[in-house]
Amino acid sequence: MKEFYKFRRPAYLLVILALLAASSCKVESLRPVNEASKDISGNWSVIGATRNGTDLTSIVDFSQFKLTFSEGKYTLLNKLPFLVSQNGTYSLDNPQYPFQISFTPAGSPAVATAFTYPIVNGVRQLTLTFSPGCPNNIYIYTFRKAN
Amino acid sequence: MRASLRINVKAKWLWSCCAALILGMVITCCSITVFTVTQPDTAVVGSTIPISVKFTYHNIKGGNTENLVFGFLVPKGWAVSQNAKITYTSTVGDGKMVLMPSNVTEPQSNGLSWSSALLKKFGIGTNLVNDMEWVVYQSDVGLPLNDGEEITATLNISLKVGADNNNTLCKLGYLIAESHDGLHEVDSNIDQNGAKYEYYAEQITPCFMLTGGSGEVVDFCNPQLTSVDPPKSLDNDFVTLSFDGTVTKTALPSSSTIYLCATANTSDGKTYTVCDQSAKTQFTQTVAGSNKYKITIWPRSYFGISDSQTIVNMNYYVTDATGNIKVGYGNTASPFTYTFKCN
Repeated sequence: MKEFYKFRRPAYLLVILALLAASSCKVESLRPVNEASKDISGNWSVIGATRNGTDLTSIVDFSQFKLTFSEGKYTLLNKLPFLVSQNGTYSLDNPQYPFQISFTPAGSPAVATAFTYPIVNGVRQLTLTFSPGCPNNIYIYTFRKAN
Repeated sequence: MRASLRINVKAKWLWSCCAALILGMVITCCSITVFTVTQPDTAVVGSTIPISVKFTYHNIKGGNTENLVFGFLVPKGWAVSQNAKITYTSTVGDGKMVLMPSNVTEPQSNGLSWSSALLKKFGIGTNLVNDMEWVVYQSDVGLPLNDGEEITATLNISLKVGADNNNTLCKLGYLIAESHDGLHEVDSNIDQNGAKYEYYAEQITPCFMLTGGSGEVVDFCNPQLTSVDPPKSLDNDFVTLSFDGTVTKTALPSSSTIYLCATANTSDGKTYTVCDQSAKTQFTQTVAGSNKYKITIWPRSYFGISDSQTIVNMNYYVTDATGNIKVGYGNTASPFTYTFKCN
């Protein structure tokens, strides 16, 4: 009897451990995290510009040119060649995963362009590609939020 | 474990040798010899000129079927992709050359299209104005290649020149390759004549002159006192004017401070002149003492036109600090002219 007890105790322990292990497993319901809408509102300044690959940043004064997004509207301050030349409204093709931004100057049709919105060194940047003059002349402006 | 490792090392060597051998056999097609271009020296805008390009694929190896590839360096304004017809005759068949699809990549250029790869490797040849393009063609069918074969081919080009109606001086460029090796660099492969394999062949021809156009003269061949970048632009582009004082001796003192004196003509018949000697009009010397200068302007703002106006063209001089010494087109008293247009 004593030996029987000794023999069965590990078996009981194994069964209890197995039950505990089984009960500890729980199926978690995975819910996708919603991507935050991209908020580009604020004042943006040009920190880099190229024309057909040629760097313009050091030969053109971009310091006074500002692009402001606020409540669906954009404004241009101290204009330079840009996608549009008049103030108006803007929209993103997808607020969460935007690939395109559309500018609609007051009284004119909308003009859309691809844009990227990377974080560089912890700072959000906005890069726009466009042709303000001849279609073959490609400009790329990189903006950073102004303080 | 040690035995296993030794076997692996041996296998690695064996595989490497085999791979190198197989690679050498596969990537080697042929060597291009005899590359002759026959083209006229001059032509009239709007005419159609004949050009022939003759070449030989020599010492062919492998049993691949490959397309003949032809790159043509031409002024963008000629719209060659729409204005050239090219056929070929060869010892293995005749046919026509068709435009290389833009999604076909050059095999040695890490995913670049053929035209981009040629531009990256050869630039615009020895032309001086960056308004040239490489238009690339391939044979309409692949040509079967047999070991030791020699293929002689001639491209017959029928080119309508001067679609932009500009009198032009330019150096046309030609490239011959094949679709398998592309712009493969010279390696250890030796041709039958003892020379190294030439996987492609390229040449830039002497200056070709196009006359009879009503547009302005576009000179890609000769250094100019002034040049404009981009060569084609509108008044809403940033425009960079360059002055090269080394081209010829002018009345302007060497490596001094120089200024832009310009007049814009708008589509509504008005003129706007900016001819003061100020920071706004001052050229920047690219390198101290170089006697080469640049100024970048946004014409709409520079001349202060209204939103409803458009600048058609611009006449300009380069002046000294007093404004009394003016240098114009060809170092004369006539102004340089620039027309704002895209074609």
